[in-house]
Amino acid sequence: MTERGHLHPISSLVREANSIFYKMGFSFEEGPLLEDEWHNFDALNVPKDHPARDMQDTFFIKDEPGMVLRTHTSPVQVRYMESQVKKGILPPYRVIVPGKVFRNEATDMTHEAEFFQIEGLAVGSDVTLANLKGTLTKFLKELFKGASVEIRFRPSFFPFTEPSVEVDMRLVGANVPEKLRDRWIEMMGAGMVHPDVLKNAGVDPTQYQGFAFGMGLDRLALLRWGIDDVRLMHSADLRFINQF
Amino acid sequence: MKTSRTWLQNYFTQPLPEAAVLSDALTFHAFEIESVEGDILDVKITPNRGHDCLCHRGIARELSAILAMPVKLDALRVPVSLEPKTAALKVVIEKPELCARFTAAVIHNVKVGPSPEWLRVALEGIGQRSINNVVDATNYVMFDLGQPLHAFDAGKLTQQDGTYALTVRTAQQGETMLGLDDKEYSLTTSMLAIADGNTGEAVSIAGIKGGKPTGIDEATSTVILEAANWDGVTIRRTSTALKLRTDASDRFQQVISPELTAYGLKAASDLIIQIAGGEVVGFVDEYPRPSAQKQVSVTLSKINAVLGTELPIADVAEVFTRLGLAHVQTGEEFLVTAPFERLDLLIAEDLIEEVARIVGYDKIPAVELPASPEKPGVNANFYASEAVREKLMAEGYSEIFTSVFTEKGERVVANKVDGVRPYLRANLTDGLQEALERNMRSKILLGLSEIKLFEIGTVWRDGKEEVVVGTVTEKEKATERHIESVSSLAYDTLPISLTERYKTFSKYPFIVRDISMWVPQGENSFGDVVRVFGEQAQNLLRHVELFDQFQKGERVSYAFHLVFQSFDKTLTDEEANAVMENIYAVVKAKGWEVR
Repeated sequence: MTERGHLHPISSLVREANSIFYKMGFSFEEGPLLEDEWHNFDALNVPKDHPARDMQDTFFIKDEPGMVLRTHTSPVQVRYMESQVKKGILPPYRVIVPGKVFRNEATDMTHEAEFFQIEGLAVGSDVTLANLKGTLTKFLKELFKGASVEIRFRPSFFPFTEPSVEVDMRLVGANVPEKLRDRWIEMMGAGMVHPDVLKNAGVDPTQYQGFAFGMGLDRLALLRWGIDDVRLMHSADLRFINQF
Repeated sequence: MKTSRTWLQNYFTQPLPEAAVLSDALTFHAFEIESVEGDILDVKITPNRGHDCLCHRGIARELSAILAMPVKLDALRVPVSLEPKTAALKVVIEKPELCARFTAAVIHNVKVGPSPEWLRVALEGIGQRSINNVVDATNYVMFDLGQPLHAFDAGKLTQQDGTYALTVRTAQQGETMLGLDDKEYSLTTSMLAIADGNTGEAVSIAGIKGGKPTGIDEATSTVILEAANWDGVTIRRTSTALKLRTDASDRFQQVISPELTAYGLKAASDLIIQIAGGEVVGFVDEYPRPSAQKQVSVTLSKINAVLGTELPIADVAEVFTRLGLAHVQTGEEFLVTAPFERLDLLIAEDLIEEVARIVGYDKIPAVELPASPEKPGVNANFYASEAVREKLMAEGYSEIFTSVFTEKGERVVANKVDGVRPYLRANLTDGLQEALERNMRSKILLGLSEIKLFEIGTVWRDGKEEVVVGTVTEKEKATERHIESVSSLAYDTLPISLTERYKTFSKYPFIVRDISMWVPQGENSFGDVVRVFGEQAQNLLRHVELFDQFQKGERVSYAFHLVFQSFDKTLTDEEANAVMENIYAVVKAKGWEVR
């Protein structure tokens, strides 16, 4: 009998996240990795001369002006809403976008030039910041089963959300690994979708509002399994993969 | 920004709580704190607050709102006048769109010398070097109010008919200037310079760095003090191009209000006179297009509808009052007149954020979304990929991810920081083949009968981006194919990883030794043998693999590969041999027979 092969931990997380969010009414969306600057930056309220557009952070493509390797999964927010509006489908919208993103940085144990994020977006006439807290609490509770999960918001800034928050999580309980137990851990950036982003995607911000979040899946995997080096994710090393 | 608790105390009559309390107050209501060392907090100012919070005054206002402690005196709320005007200096702004305002003071009979103790301590406390009383005064005002300033030695500028002249102009291509940091800067036409209007010579890289030849020294007697407002984008581009970041450029590139120049200039000239003597001859104020006040309105119902709260109207009014935001309340609507330095308050949502963070995000309840009115769709591509994963895993393939960056392809990154593997891959097969070869070394360590790998990933070829699946095994070369999307009404329930914790593997090479032996047949014979291996090998035994077994009479023959590896170093043959000797000895003592 053939022994079953092993699933990459990121794929396992995506599978699990999709099933949790699907039950909450979110569908799975995708977008291109090679993205245009409008979707990656402008439409998300990141103006031309914002420091985030500095050369060292973003991979630009030779002889293809205006094209970048997407720096986050957020451009899919805009792409998704645009496509819905084009089809005449108005909110409510609920989507998650797991996928690869890129940062033009030197790599080390905690930084990779290519890594995975999961984006979430919920838009409707009455989607609130309280719903963001409720949704993330539920997601993290299901993901860290057996632990009591607390989350908290801290003020932050992202050009594409207003208000913007950082989300911290704390796991409490005897079966939580000691390294994680009772400690606040920064999990993701989030907030209420900036009205300009809705407008740029063709959604009327006077009628609709919503929340968005973006979480690093590699980091989540590191925390979840106590993985000590983010570069293992792309190592293709079975000494790593076969443990999952 | 390094922020001193002692400095902040100047803004309050009541004693401030200790640094740890200030750190928490800012963390949960305003900004992340990078570090706290003694009384110095390193505050990470978000880009939307670079307009008003890159200074102690801004942080003091935040703390005042958060802790509900009134500020004693806010210099920006006391009207200033730049009077009397002087004709001793003539200022011309050739590029008013890039220099919204240029104010200056001419100060006579200044005595340059060391700064007083309090000033030196204040600057050194936040990591600045004390230079002399005049320069320190300009820096102090920048870190206090947020307006960068520059002091020229008027004696090193030229006069025409008794008048000094400063001109704001585009730099000339190739024009050079020796900076106060003793470095020579070569300017281009996209940069702004301040020139001596009488000679045309550049004396400062606008908003970034003053020139050495006109700098303040012990002999300076007349000072021309400049506080101007510069276009943020121009400053950022110039600073990047010259690889020259200064405390001034950091502030201008965040964009600050031109209103601030007058407050900064007045505070700095007062301070200079206080600590270096002299008298102000007069001021110059070129302000071609004064900026207009901004008003933003928001209703209580909108605030509660966005936050999902039920805040009473009094709480909202109190937040605005504590933040010093002038407002008029009509029914449930607030019309807020943003103070000039708060350039971030543009739309209702900006005010909602102010309310949320000052009230505290812990006051936001956690409310689940209502049940979805319709069933979410099933993503046909993801569904298909999941099906492919399951099929391949059932056949013994394990999933890997390899980098999209490689040595050849159709598309190439223009600016890769590390410079290596700049191409976007055009196939998965090259990466899979490489991964197979690398994993062959671990085969025996992992006890695999065959290495079988797959990857689902993006490739770029024929001008398109496409997701494909590729496979490779020891027996079959790497191949890849398109994944046909599959529509479905629901997702299948598929297994997830049940692993609890990952275990670090050793990065050192391993050594394999074989052993075969006769053991009397018995229920536990196999277990007994393996236990002996474990006990004798200490922590060096990584894997035991039984590769042959047969029975003859009352005895069983076992043949094993034993894989030894250290977590601390490369294991030597001698060390492996020593372990084997121990095993042989115990095997012999047990009466088993090594073959």
